[in-house]
Amino acid sequence: MAVLTRGAYADAGTSLDFKTGNWRSTDMPAHVHAAAPCHAACPAGEDQQAWFALLQQHDPKGAWCELVSANPLPAITGRVCPHPCETACNRAALEGALAIHNVERWLGDQAVAQGWAYPVAPPAVDAPVVAIVGAGPAGLSAAYHCLRQGLRAEIFEALPEAGGLLRSGIPATRLPRDVLDAELARLLALPGITLNLRARLGRDVTLEGLRASHAAVLLGPGCQEGKEWSVRGAVPTDLHEGLALLRKFMDVGAFPPGDRVVVHGGGNTAMDLCRLMKRAGAAQVTLVTASGLPGPDTDPSDRINVVPRELEEALEEGIEIIPHASINRLIMKGSKVTGVEIVSLRKFTGKDGHSERVSFGGTERVLPVDLVIPCVGERVSPEGLEAVIQGGYLAPEDIWGRLPQDGVFAVGDARGDRGTVAQAIGDGRRAAMAAAAMIAGTGAPPLAERPTIPASALNPVYYPPSRRTLVPVLPVAERGFETEIEGDIGTAAAMAEAARCLSCGNCLACDNCWTFCPDNAVIKTAELARDGSHYVFDLDYCKGCGLCAQECPTGYIQMLPETL
Amino acid sequence: MTDDTRLSALRQKFGRPPAAPDEPATKAATATEAATEAATARTRQPRFEGLVSGHRACQGCGEALAARLVMEASGPDVMVANATGCLEVFTTPWPQSAWRVPWIHSLFENAPAVASGMEAAMKAKGRNTKVLAFGGDGGTYDIGFQALSGMLERYHNILYICYDNEAYMNTGVQRSSSTPHAAATTTSPAGKDRMGKRHLKKDLLSIIAAHHIPYAASASVAFPQDLQRKVRYAMGIEGPTFIVVHSPCPLGWKHASALTIEVARRAVECGLFPLVELERGSLSNIMPIRHLRPVTDYLQLQGRFSHLFDKDDPRAERERDHLQALADYNIAAFGLAGEGGDDAADTGGHAAVGRGGPIAGRV
Repeated sequence: MAVLTRGAYADAGTSLDFKTGNWRSTDMPAHVHAAAPCHAACPAGEDQQAWFALLQQHDPKGAWCELVSANPLPAITGRVCPHPCETACNRAALEGALAIHNVERWLGDQAVAQGWAYPVAPPAVDAPVVAIVGAGPAGLSAAYHCLRQGLRAEIFEALPEAGGLLRSGIPATRLPRDVLDAELARLLALPGITLNLRARLGRDVTLEGLRASHAAVLLGPGCQEGKEWSVRGAVPTDLHEGLALLRKFMDVGAFPPGDRVVVHGGGNTAMDLCRLMKRAGAAQVTLVTASGLPGPDTDPSDRINVVPRELEEALEEGIEIIPHASINRLIMKGSKVTGVEIVSLRKFTGKDGHSERVSFGGTERVLPVDLVIPCVGERVSPEGLEAVIQGGYLAPEDIWGRLPQDGVFAVGDARGDRGTVAQAIGDGRRAAMAAAAMIAGTGAPPLAERPTIPASALNPVYYPPSRRTLVPVLPVAERGFETEIEGDIGTAAAMAEAARCLSCGNCLACDNCWTFCPDNAVIKTAELARDGSHYVFDLDYCKGCGLCAQECPTGYIQMLPETL
Repeated sequence: MTDDTRLSALRQKFGRPPAAPDEPATKAATATEAATEAATARTRQPRFEGLVSGHRACQGCGEALAARLVMEASGPDVMVANATGCLEVFTTPWPQSAWRVPWIHSLFENAPAVASGMEAAMKAKGRNTKVLAFGGDGGTYDIGFQALSGMLERYHNILYICYDNEAYMNTGVQRSSSTPHAAATTTSPAGKDRMGKRHLKKDLLSIIAAHHIPYAASASVAFPQDLQRKVRYAMGIEGPTFIVVHSPCPLGWKHASALTIEVARRAVECGLFPLVELERGSLSNIMPIRHLRPVTDYLQLQGRFSHLFDKDDPRAERERDHLQALADYNIAAFGLAGEGGDDAADTGGHAAVGRGGPIAGRV
């Protein structure tokens, strides 16, 4: 209570007594943690923005822990992933996307080299056990996420080694075997995961048996059988199916003889085969694909489905690619192929939404060849899965991988709508979550639905220009069968890349809101505030001018209708 | 207390970020909880708050922001003499004050004279308290100009800050000698006879510099680190110093309140408001412009220049070109065009932020 003295002199009160917050007429500022586009695009479910933020705080171990909360195999995906995160990166519109892929690899390698422990607690000794069929990326990810959900996991693998397609279908030049072995060994050593090798479904175990003995069954058998391939009914006697040939090469190290090779297909297996055969001595390797090459005019659905830099490297190495074409006829000498007739075609989307291939008459030309290799995809081997297989695949009902049979989930390539290691890892995570929810009796786990933040929501004024790191690549002449083609970017470049992260949709702790608020209505907190940022809005004084939202570089502050 | 227990106590108190992307968001704070948290944290801000909340400035006020930034950089051992104007009115509605330092208001025209007396009194008492004098462009360019000249000439140890919002905003947007050419105000309306203000903005900084005082500079609210560096530099000088701060007025300039900083930034980047420093009358530093922008980028955000975008009026283009010519003159006269690259002290370098705050000034 102010005391009035003689002369009507009054002690000045503080204007803090006057709450200007009631001046807000429409909107109030709020922290909105929207999804960064890299996170939204990641099939494995990583939040790249979150781990880059930790790297920016010089905490590589924390960054790795954040990374492996979604993807337990970063050293592997950091080598083989087609990184849709980089395609989506908002920095692409400034000076080029972040080298997320290469930093992920660096982090994965650091974890292996320094023995960082996976952030999982050992499950209780009496925790329910989930049976997982297949020790490929989907099965391994599922096992790891079962641990994170407090479950135990028992893996059944038909082959004598874990790894699945990572081991059998990806050449050492992309994924060196010591890297693969090191990361898998660390994952499989986690308490709570049991691995049964040489345990084949249908021979050593049965689906019904697993359903009876385990709390849930996750099926990640992969696709082991090549689809039938013929050209108008003609099949050469010496036909080698792509993936089988690749596997055989990785076991014995030799290809069947042939100087002029045509590979028919448009995926990573086709690309790997082309490059390996060229290096193995084939004079002329041609890839015939119905898709188009990437370019500004190419529709994304029509683009050849390979890792972009693999395509670049293949062209460097002299692989010839014939896009928008197919094999129309085989030219045979007896039952041996001596040439192929190629015809141009395009995919068109018909009225019913299905794509239709239309070949253009008059464009036929003949290519003399010694070897034709189809790489037109694989499907699930039905052995032991007769009860659940449908049209060549285990087509589940939803993203959680649930099959009509109670407690049975399908993950990875076997779903039929997958094709990358990252997708398989994401499948494993979701299926483990769904299995845990089922065992706990809580129905489907909640879907994290956050809006994705576009480049237009950022304020680019505040980002200093910074160029993308160059990735070391082995010269064409030195590329062989063992040495990895892409190199490590190193600590300095990894940290420099991390500093380039725009922190889309999340607080950058840049102080802009705190500095620019004309009403001191943004309060800085020493410890993390409730929403994870370092700032609190004092709505008692906020007049709702919107300056903070306008000047927030990351779009983390948005003006929303009054709610409080 | 171990780190772990301390951490868990802090987490309980302040919450934590989601541990995984799928984790549901924590429950939002209630209004009372949020208010209590803010009130507690408000008393522990890592900066001096010489001008506190609850003042009655309009939404997005550039002047309120500028004054707070100046107080942060100059306080706490300062006293303020304030000329009549927006700043005086919105900070001190009786019986409250937003000022946390000694503060005097007397008249529109005499802030420099009052400050001179305060400085003499401090000197007589053997105190080192720095005296600041604040005025708007009306109180500085026009009404208090004579007193200001006297203060500079008598070489008082005073830092004079002019918050330049380019018109008499407090009384309802009348033109001042600081109002730029072609801007519409209530006393220089755009219409049949004139395209806004007929005359040019007074080049006050040159007049001030002609007093050969130790330091005179221009600054902008869009570059707060630069503004505060200039204030700190001036605080270290024994003698009269002067800083004019470009402070957009959403009401008078007719732009959205959220755009205050963007408007101020564009004024600098187009060359119409050059950021320069003068010592003893000669140029000692400028802020180069990394990417020069056309003046229309600046003008089109503001309603006071909307008549310059009237497609049916042939005078509009001429006046736009006139303003561009004025900007080009500034760019040439002060050498404002950056030399490419990424100079840490140009407009782009000053704006750059990283995790943990602005990048400029980091070691």
